[in-house]
Amino acid sequence: MNLWKEFSKGFVKENPVFIMALGLCPTLAVTSSVTNAIGMGLAATFVLTCSNVIISLIKDLIPSKIRIPCFIVVIASFVTIVDLVMNAYTPEVHKSLGLFIPLIVVNCIILGRAEAFASKNKVLPSILDGLGMGLGFTLALVVIGSIREVLGAGQWLGMNVMPLAYIKSPMLVAILAPGAFIIMGLLMGLINIVNKGK
Amino acid sequence: MNNNLIVSAAPHLKAKNMTVKSVMWQVVLALVPAMLAAIFFFGLRSLVLTCYAVVAAVLTEYLIQKLRGVPVTITDGSAVVTGILLAFNLNVASPGWLPVIGSVFAIAIGKQVFGGLGHNIFNPALLGRAFLLASWPSLVTANWTKTQPAFSLMFKSMNSLNLSSLQNVPEAITSATPLAAVKSVRVLAETNPDLAQQVMDRMTSMDTISQLFIGNIGGVIGEVSALALLIGAAYMAFRYIISWRIPMSYILTVFVLTFAFGGLGGLFSASIMLPFYHIFSGGLILGAFFMATDMVTSPVTKKGMLVFGIGAGLLTAVIRLWGGYPEGVSYSILLMNCCVPLIDRWTAPKPFGEVRK
Amino acid sequence: MNYFVKLGLVLLLITAIASGILAFVNGLTSEKIKANKLVAEQEARKEVLSEASRFEKQTVTLPAVETEPNPLKNKVEAGPRQFIYYLGYNDESAIVGYTFVASQYGYSSEVKTMVGVNLDMSIARIKVIEQSETPGLGANAATADFQGRFVDMNQEQLQVDKDGGAIKSLTGATITSRAVTNSIAEGMKILADAMTEEGK
Repeated sequence: MNLWKEFSKGFVKENPVFIMALGLCPTLAVTSSVTNAIGMGLAATFVLTCSNVIISLIKDLIPSKIRIPCFIVVIASFVTIVDLVMNAYTPEVHKSLGLFIPLIVVNCIILGRAEAFASKNKVLPSILDGLGMGLGFTLALVVIGSIREVLGAGQWLGMNVMPLAYIKSPMLVAILAPGAFIIMGLLMGLINIVNKGK
Repeated sequence: MNNNLIVSAAPHLKAKNMTVKSVMWQVVLALVPAMLAAIFFFGLRSLVLTCYAVVAAVLTEYLIQKLRGVPVTITDGSAVVTGILLAFNLNVASPGWLPVIGSVFAIAIGKQVFGGLGHNIFNPALLGRAFLLASWPSLVTANWTKTQPAFSLMFKSMNSLNLSSLQNVPEAITSATPLAAVKSVRVLAETNPDLAQQVMDRMTSMDTISQLFIGNIGGVIGEVSALALLIGAAYMAFRYIISWRIPMSYILTVFVLTFAFGGLGGLFSASIMLPFYHIFSGGLILGAFFMATDMVTSPVTKKGMLVFGIGAGLLTAVIRLWGGYPEGVSYSILLMNCCVPLIDRWTAPKPFGEVRK
Repeated sequence: MNYFVKLGLVLLLITAIASGILAFVNGLTSEKIKANKLVAEQEARKEVLSEASRFEKQTVTLPAVETEPNPLKNKVEAGPRQFIYYLGYNDESAIVGYTFVASQYGYSSEVKTMVGVNLDMSIARIKVIEQSETPGLGANAATADFQGRFVDMNQEQLQVDKDGGAIKSLTGATITSRAVTNSIAEGMKILADAMTEEGK
């Protein structure tokens, strides 16, 4: 029961993007399409889970004074692995995520969970925390990405979902940078209203 | 005695009839000449588009205020002004849904999200235009309509300004708006300076300037006639709704900068008429008198107003002469809107008797 | 003192392990990544010159050109420049055309275009392979519609309509259209010169 809580808290209650406002740079940058959002979300989830495992394993070996550089090394290694593997086996996704994969290193969610959770907990809760937070991040990205892609391109996952007349001249601002800010702001506001209502 | 010492929060209204409501409806009144000019030059379609925008703005304001559970203030006219100004920023060939969506965005995101009238950082109408420009750039910046005076018999001598009537001018100069022509001439000057100078001379001729002033030239609905806008502006200035500081410093800055840098042969090579070309074309008059002076989004101090006007003028001239867009009025005002809190802080008057630190 | 040595050692150990793992992964993937890149380039060349099945790299060394340094747009090019093009051969080992990559700064990014050229120096097809222009305006350069406007054009026609050429520019994105067109025209010229030189 407790473990389930560790896993599920990342979805809504402590959603890294909407509630904790962490990792906003990738959130704003890659959500111009759902494909990118899923790719980024899953890559970050992978890195987050792996780094949580390693960090919770070696937490007793690391002197607290140098814990941050150690965390960064662990995270950066996993990011590089993801980068290389994606480049080799999914070149298309790698091409569109391009710049953002190295940015996972500085994604606050990952360092944040390492510092706040994995370095204080055992392996199993850390895995669940990493998975939950990662999936919560992915969920947020997909929600924002869906809204942006449907409004800004008339498509969802590359499939046409709006009438052709709309696709011809869609609301471009949604897939541009300002659209990302506006839509994320509105979603945060909406979630605040829902939370307040409880 | 009692009445002279009332302590209250700003703004300190002098005139009794200076309520939000009366100010806003007077602004609407001041916009009527420009509306009439637009109907005259572009046809009834301009009125229809404006009505769409106004209705959408008022309805959005009503719905959101209902949702938020705050008093509904649609009768104060502020949404009406936003709607009119937004429609004035579109070209007359726009599809009908464009002003509607723009108005909804202007009121919902530009104003109500911040907490309604008085709390918005940006001028809602300009924000609506920026939104439309980012979303449907080809609809907002293309398909300019040439002016067609409705009563052509009366104005037979008034032919639409056509720069291509010069011989041997490449298609580049047949731009439908005067400011796009400025851009094209500057491009042309790199390859063919003589021809560019020739076109430039045509642009700065008295004939062209007077056409621009009266409004016989393509552009967005509201900017068509400088004359009509100035009549409205004079009314507002007469009723003390706007102060001279922002519009004058704004326009003068554009005047000086376009005169200094607008010429094709380097510093101060422009004819003295070129600044007039810049002032009467595009949205400068509309922006300077009706949008930069928006009470909510402009500084309250006298010095601050001058800073605001000069800053907006600087940005406008830079965008017009060197930027990627032909027109910079809307972005310059929006950018200066962000600076208003800072400007107000820097220019806050020193209380009487306070010692300089 | 000892304490700090220990800190350093722990950090060293962790970084050493990390680099070991990374070296291993790199060894596993580098070949595949290289192969992917080659395949992608080959596919792009094939796409613009469909008759060819095999390509051969050629290099032309150009004399150094003194370009006016424009810090906003171009890197100043010093020394001799190289122009790389590919000869396309069909299954019978006959030359069927050429491909090259044209590149120029557009409105907000470097626009790279893969160009396929027929033997008679007209364009077979083009494909914009890299750009980050404004979505909805300049980015439309990557649409089939725009790319189709280049088919069968020869060097003289390669100018946008606003400059008096035959290429209809994109609505609201003359600068991007011009960048694509002019970069192709420039490449075509170099290619044509190289061909006449060889023909001598």
